[in-house]
Amino acid sequence: MAGATQPAAIRRRAAESDLSVGRVLLVTAGALFWGWLVASWLNRWLGGVVVPVGEPFVRPATVETALATLPGLAAYAEPIGFAVGISPEIARGAWLTIVITTVSLFIGFFIAVPLAVTRVYGRYSAYLSLGYTELLRGTPLLAQLFVLHFGLNLGAYVPGALSGVFPRNVVWVAILGFTLNGAAYQAEYIRGALESVEEGQITAGRAIGLSRVETIYYVVLPQGLRYAIPSWTNEFIYLIKYSSLAAFITVPELYYRADQIAASTFRYTLIFAVTGLAYLALVLTASKLMEAVEARVAIPGLGADRGR
Amino acid sequence: MTDESFLEVTDVSKWYGDEQVLHDVSFEMDRGDVTVLIGPSGSGKSTMLRCVNRLAEAQEGSIRLDGEDVLAPSTDVDDLRREVGMVFQGFNLFAHLSAVGNVALGPQRVLGLSKAEARDRATDQLERVGLGNQLDSYPAELSGGQQQRVGTARALAMEPKLMLFDEPTSALDPELIGEVLEVMHDLVEAGMTMLVVTHEMSFARAVADEIVFLDAGRVVERGPPEQLFENPEKERTDRFLDRIASHD
Ligand SMILES: Nc1ncnc2c1ncn2[C@@H]1O[C@H](COP(=O)(O)OP(=O)(O)OP(=O)(O)O)[C@@H](O)[C@H]1O
Ligand SMILES: [Mg+2]
Repeated sequence: MAGATQPAAIRRRAAESDLSVGRVLLVTAGALFWGWLVASWLNRWLGGVVVPVGEPFVRPATVETALATLPGLAAYAEPIGFAVGISPEIARGAWLTIVITTVSLFIGFFIAVPLAVTRVYGRYSAYLSLGYTELLRGTPLLAQLFVLHFGLNLGAYVPGALSGVFPRNVVWVAILGFTLNGAAYQAEYIRGALESVEEGQITAGRAIGLSRVETIYYVVLPQGLRYAIPSWTNEFIYLIKYSSLAAFITVPELYYRADQIAASTFRYTLIFAVTGLAYLALVLTASKLMEAVEARVAIPGLGADRGR
Repeated sequence: MTDESFLEVTDVSKWYGDEQVLHDVSFEMDRGDVTVLIGPSGSGKSTMLRCVNRLAEAQEGSIRLDGEDVLAPSTDVDDLRREVGMVFQGFNLFAHLSAVGNVALGPQRVLGLSKAEARDRATDQLERVGLGNQLDSYPAELSGGQQQRVGTARALAMEPKLMLFDEPTSALDPELIGEVLEVMHDLVEAGMTMLVVTHEMSFARAVADEIVFLDAGRVVERGPPEQLFENPEKERTDRFLDRIASHD
């Protein structure tokens, strides 16, 4: 009976149609979130072309009055109005969260690849990179940031060209910290994926006269990096959230902004619920983005879950 | 000795740790010859093949290919491998590259051909093995027989002067073996020098100039197929051939 294969196909089709409603909702929410974020940043950078800098696009009072007239929502009118009121600060903080995360991830990637390669294929260098990875994964990230900031005071040594890019030089210290730490985690994920590339392909590369390094570059890495995407996405997602630790070295990112407002208004639950939603939106964006990248670079004929 | 053979393997010995896997193995081939290595599992056939392109290092003895000392420390292994093609039991295709990409990689990155030249050469070789219509297919989209033909084209694209085949049909479903053997037959016709490990005795009988029977790392007996198959001198050879035949 063909019944053995049929249910899976039917299930998949059902899942797809279910997904399509969810998909529309997700895409709409994403578009609203990013539209609002980008509009907020532009408004601030252009000196308040739409609304005065620091003010929300709609007045909290307007939102409150409007909601108060709706029977079911009257109770939520005030908190929602408050959330609207803090939205410019959320957008402002989210900018640094995004920048710190993506820049650290990007630079960290170029450290992680050699770390992973030497770990798998190096002899003595394997121990060096093992040492690096274990040291950075084995100690608290916050402690690493404290060493860089309070211990070494690296913010004072930011080179001229970089200084002034961000409102505070300590942002560079955070980027450095997350780059070094994230590289260790990325290297672990990439290492696992490199190891899943079949030994026989390396032999075949050597057999046509490619050197060891060429074989790694032309044969192993193109596959290993693809297979690493799903687990690497975890690091992306973790880093979005861990970047909140930068607040402890006074980087005014998302968490820092939220904490500042909470300290003066004491509305912790509401503020961190809103902040949490913003983090959630960023995380979902990252995971959807990486899913798209994974599908885009998938090797024809191999399941998307190869190497997991 | 003036007339040196094209490939001369002389008293080659190899150890893995304490275990000696090749014991003074010797044989030679002339240009255009086909030599088939046979022997039970673990007898050292793959290891012997790999010593020729130095994927494995022989510790004693000598291997000379076309007048060059293969085992000399001064021999550049990458140069050597350019001239010696190898086809593997497990195909070992590069999973992320199309058929053409697999075959073109060597010519482009090792021989330094331009991308277009390498692609042309790859196309020619794939057509030669009957895969002109699968140029852009990826390994996972090809049958085992097709994959092995890509693997053969990949080796041929380097224009090697010696081809090594390590059980090229052993991983294939019976109905796919023929297409690979056919490609190998064509190569024999074209005058390629081939050192082949295989259990396909009818192929060996049809094309081999010499059969070398290895057992436990030693050459038990070697000779032309008629002699070795019909009239083996050693009882060990006879038993092995009987066992193979009963499996067919
Ligand atoms: N990389 C290695 N490390 C240690 N021992 C090895 C290695 N490769 C092969 N051997 C050993 O060397 C011996 C010969 O192996 P080889 O693969 O050459 O045999 P074979 O004749 O090709 O066998 P098969 O028919 O199973 O392919 C075996 O005992 C094997 O276990
Ligand atoms: Mg073998």
